[in-house]
Amino acid sequence: MARIIVVTSGKGGVGKTTSSAAIGLGLALKGHKVVLIDFDIGLRNLDLIMGCERRVVYDFVNVINGEATLNQALIKDKRVSSLSILPASQTRDKDALNKESVGKVLEELGKTFDFIVCDSPAGIEAGAMMALYYADEAIVTTNPEVSSVRDSDRILGMLASRSRRAELNLEPIKEHLLLTRYSPKRVEEGEMLSVEDVKDILSIPLLGVIPESQAVLKASNAGEPVILDTESDAGQAYQDVIDRLLGETVEFRFLVAEKKGIFSRMFGG
Amino acid sequence: MADASIEFKGSSFTLSVLHLKSSELADIRADLTKKVAQAPDFFYLVPVVVNIEQLSCSIDYQAVKALIEEFNFTFVGFTGAVTKEQRFHIRELGFSFVNTAKANVPPKSTIAPKSEVKETAIEAPKVVEHLYTDKVHRGQIRSGQQIYAKDQNLVIIGSVSAGAEVIADGNIHVYGSLRGRAIAGAKGHHKAQIYCQNLEAELVSINGNYWLSESMEEHWGSPAFIHLTDTELTSSKLI
Repeated sequence: MARIIVVTSGKGGVGKTTSSAAIGLGLALKGHKVVLIDFDIGLRNLDLIMGCERRVVYDFVNVINGEATLNQALIKDKRVSSLSILPASQTRDKDALNKESVGKVLEELGKTFDFIVCDSPAGIEAGAMMALYYADEAIVTTNPEVSSVRDSDRILGMLASRSRRAELNLEPIKEHLLLTRYSPKRVEEGEMLSVEDVKDILSIPLLGVIPESQAVLKASNAGEPVILDTESDAGQAYQDVIDRLLGETVEFRFLVAEKKGIFSRMFGG
Repeated sequence: MADASIEFKGSSFTLSVLHLKSSELADIRADLTKKVAQAPDFFYLVPVVVNIEQLSCSIDYQAVKALIEEFNFTFVGFTGAVTKEQRFHIRELGFSFVNTAKANVPPKSTIAPKSEVKETAIEAPKVVEHLYTDKVHRGQIRSGQQIYAKDQNLVIIGSVSAGAEVIADGNIHVYGSLRGRAIAGAKGHHKAQIYCQNLEAELVSINGNYWLSESMEEHWGSPAFIHLTDTELTSSKLI
């Protein structure tokens, strides 16, 4: 059975879409069949990050309305054949989705894919609720700052009360904490919450810590998910996330600021 | 013929008697407010008999009872040397008329048994302590969530996040960090308390008295409990 994973946060701009793209592609690179769904109807972004924006013909809403079949709307990734993308509609709004039809689409996708990664819109309204409703697992994307942490806390409350699993009294959604834009240097200077602070407040298991990196912006603009940039620390951190999602125990990296060597200090490197 | 399960006996109690000197309800209310404010703890649920002897004209008995109960007294009945008609009227309204030893006691046959029954009933309020059961919640209370333990204590095995709200008519126990709001004794229970393993609350309130986080500096970030002395909130170290 397919694992339905929602990437959510409450707050906007914390890296949901970047993480969805990296995680979807990372899982596919490991040989799994993955579909990435953009639930952000009206603010279509995932196709840009994935670099397939020019290949969108039909979208999620067309499928919901029966105007296109799933196969017509799914876009196969050019880099990894086991990855497909179901783009959002740019011209509609979030009311275009309803629980029943979304459920049917997910059920259909579940027949062919191992992983269904749902990129949630920000907020706690209908769109975000729709993205998390059918989830088996949730990756709660959080920046190390107070407002993001509080919004994540709110979303965790929703996951525990408003999802299908909660409504049917099934085993609760498995929650993962993904800390993004983490800067060990700023944590040391006391400007940023530390991993421990966030873990203490949210008290859910940590899935990964993605360091603040120039590579992320570059990757987004190029339409090449950052996980492909194996040289960058962010790319490597996402790689660790994939391994942990697949059940491996991987030590956390990039949690402390790099110490400058004596030579670079002497020569002002 | 002995009754096995019950027995009526006359006992004497010391009761608070409220002497009304004016039939103007607004005046009574104003003076009561002042009096009760001096020691709310002392008057809480105290049984009270209202003496109407000094009143020159009649008064709305039902309104008097309501007023007394509004201040959290336990209303017992009326007393005083009054006319037979007045006494009859009071009883007709469903209130008991309590005779004092000094009052002109009418023929025993009519009143005495009734007043004896009443005296036994007087004991009741002393026994009715706040015996709340517990509502237990396992897991964290997240931001935006609200939990209310109606007529119960609230026990939370987990933390209360900032932006969450826990409310109980009894006490609140948090086995974790209290970062949100905690409102104990919500229905007016003066002796309610709030316990937590880590005090970092946005707001705590007991019986309508509240503190914002700035007042919690003394035990901030440590295990503490909050309780009420006469009118003020106080925090104490838990361990």
